[in-house]
Amino acid sequence: MAYLIRFISKNAAGSSEHHDRRLESGPITIGRSTDQVLHLKDRRARLQHAAIESRNSAVHITTSALAGVTVNGKSERDARLSPGDTIEVGANIIRVIDPPDGFEFAITFELRDDADGEYLASKWSTPATGLGGFSKRKIAWLVVAAVLLLGFIVPQLFMQNFLQAGPVHSAHLSIGDDCASCHVTAFQRVPDSACVNCHTVQRHTGPDQVSVLGVTRCASCHLEHNEPQQLVNQHQGLCADCHVDLSSTSGLQGASDFLDQHPNFRVSLKRPPAIDDQPWNIEHVELAATSAHDQSNLKFKHSVHLLAEGIVTPEGKRVIECTGCHTPDPGGARMQPVSMDQHCSSCHTLAFDADDPSRTVPHGDAPAVVQTLIEYYSARLLDSDPKASSQRLRRPGEALSREDRDRVAAEARAQALRIAEDLFERRACVTCHTVTKTGGDIPWHVEPVQLTQEFFPHANFSHAAHATGVSSCDDCHNASNSDAATDVLIPDIGVCRDCHGSGDSRRNANSQVPSTCVMCHGFHSEARDAYP
Amino acid sequence: MQTSILAFRGRRYLWAALALIVICIAAYWIDDPQEPPNGGTLLGYALGTLGALLIVWLTWFGIRKRNYTSTSGSVQGWLSAHVYFGVALLVVVLLHAGFQFGWNVHTLAFVFMVLVIASGLYGVAIYMRYPERLSENRGGASRSELLDQLEDIDRRSRRVAQKLPEPFQEFVTSGIRRTELGSTLWQRLRNEDRSRIQLPGSATTVANQGQEAAMDWLAEQQSRADADSATTIAELSALLRNKRKLLRQVREDLRLQAGIEIWLYAHVPLTAALLMALLTHIVTVFLYW
Repeated sequence: MAYLIRFISKNAAGSSEHHDRRLESGPITIGRSTDQVLHLKDRRARLQHAAIESRNSAVHITTSALAGVTVNGKSERDARLSPGDTIEVGANIIRVIDPPDGFEFAITFELRDDADGEYLASKWSTPATGLGGFSKRKIAWLVVAAVLLLGFIVPQLFMQNFLQAGPVHSAHLSIGDDCASCHVTAFQRVPDSACVNCHTVQRHTGPDQVSVLGVTRCASCHLEHNEPQQLVNQHQGLCADCHVDLSSTSGLQGASDFLDQHPNFRVSLKRPPAIDDQPWNIEHVELAATSAHDQSNLKFKHSVHLLAEGIVTPEGKRVIECTGCHTPDPGGARMQPVSMDQHCSSCHTLAFDADDPSRTVPHGDAPAVVQTLIEYYSARLLDSDPKASSQRLRRPGEALSREDRDRVAAEARAQALRIAEDLFERRACVTCHTVTKTGGDIPWHVEPVQLTQEFFPHANFSHAAHATGVSSCDDCHNASNSDAATDVLIPDIGVCRDCHGSGDSRRNANSQVPSTCVMCHGFHSEARDAYP
Repeated sequence: MQTSILAFRGRRYLWAALALIVICIAAYWIDDPQEPPNGGTLLGYALGTLGALLIVWLTWFGIRKRNYTSTSGSVQGWLSAHVYFGVALLVVVLLHAGFQFGWNVHTLAFVFMVLVIASGLYGVAIYMRYPERLSENRGGASRSELLDQLEDIDRRSRRVAQKLPEPFQEFVTSGIRRTELGSTLWQRLRNEDRSRIQLPGSATTVANQGQEAAMDWLAEQQSRADADSATTIAELSALLRNKRKLLRQVREDLRLQAGIEIWLYAHVPLTAALLMALLTHIVTVFLYW
């Protein structure tokens, strides 16, 4: 099918002229794109605006443009064309004419007369307009100014708290918002002098240690404004980095991790002095060693006192609890000393006369015991009780003769020593104490008793802190099976490791509490080596 | 076929950013500082420096994309890297801070950073969907083509109206003059049609949303007109119907375009705020070292 396209234009003189183009096959494509058969230089036309082609032995114009094409003044999307029809696309006019010989279809193509420049400008435009008059840049400057003002300048003047990287530790709250009391000089780190204004420091701060530790500033370890709030460096490496091996320089055993790199516990045990009245010595003994037995000079069996069915007491049969004798100190950390008066004497009475059980001898002083007895029996003999002594008959008002007095005194003393011997050697003292017979007026020597109060004077430990995780004292101390007073009922490291693990939680197999060195040991603190 | 910026060059920047994240997390995992992790440990300073450099480099994209003569990679590649490293920045900074937050200027910088990243991700989502919807709506035409078609309809309406009495010409002129496409991004985003028209015989204008008022008036005139005029009015109606369709299309085009542009009104100013807050953060940290 052959198409004729006749391009009509006006020359400078205003008269029409045309040139023809023959197209052997359709479609006649119409659009702004340069590959179109009818190339429209009109912005209102689309790149591929419409096409004319034969369909079902008729010629149609079709378009996908929403506005359609105007065929005979009417907007159409698909129109059948016949000679005489006029098509408008923007300022372009296409007329269907009777095809000359040799053509099956013919059109003319021309610009509308009044089209000059019409398509070069449009009323419709959509300039970028911004957000209600605010450009991005304008908004940006406003926000920057706001951040500078509210984020820096205002806090500098009125609310320095807003500049903190984290909260101040509660221990330092008394400093308040006086930043400069620590941050002495701008753009310089907090100096140690700011710390020692309030704090005194002890161990591990001498020139040697500091050089060994490579630490020059307090704040390297004691970091403020951090979370979780932790002024004390809990890190394993704080101790372990050096203590992993100090054997060559200090003879200390290596310690780098509580889980498996920690020496067995060594308890501080009291040892009696070679000469009486000298202070007791302290010996550090490994708990597992055979020498780890107490030498308190006390005879005592925990097992006998802690019988589950109870023991016979003056008030009847009673079950004795650990806490009956071991009462925590007010802070709950350690135990108060056990004393004869408070904890033993209700059962272990120091009565000496079955007729008068309320009369007792004093505890802890052998001469006083004998003296008490002498006074007691003298009084008894001097009394009128005929059973007390063989009395010579006297007239009323007659004083005791010297011989009588001497005889009563001798009798009372003999009686007292008899009873004392019974108390010291058989009935009372010897139950708990080592009593040796010596010469002299008071021929008994009771070995002094010294109970150990601090088995681990270097360690931080609180019974109160362990009260929740442990069901009974026996869990750690196993006292009810102890048959000797020499037993040291202090748990060894294995018991602690049931709950306490490595400081590095990743090394702990189960839910062990991550435990770094400073959980039990102090870095700066002095050891509590002094005994009460 | 245009490849997505996310899939640029086999997602090479995705892998690079993932590698950066993995390295940072591994370093954080391995590092065992003496104090709780924070910005002041050795790793904290390292991650902080990395984060600050990333922020500056990410911001530099705004300059790079305008530098048409640059030879430092394609803008498409830069944008791909910008997106992936922007997300990686979040991880770097979280690790830098050791997950410590508070009501302070340092967290303020973090908040701005999160807002910038969030707005950026919104932008990515927009860029993934809107261009397709835009071209779908335009049906192959450009915006200016649509506007030119609109103008063509206007011109033809004027011509048709000349065959009718004076009020019709006033009607067409008023309808054209008072039809609005929305001038601010906000109006366009909300698809607000503030078009009005002054109907002949009335001293005031009435709302002409969706050209409804105009259509109604024409329909009324048509029912009253004689046969000749009715045909011409029907012609005018047909043009107006087309105009209404075109306007709807143009409005949708402007709405989508506004959607593409508006997130930058958050992203860019927030970036500026972030830079200021970052500077404040750094100065404050060392002022109170």
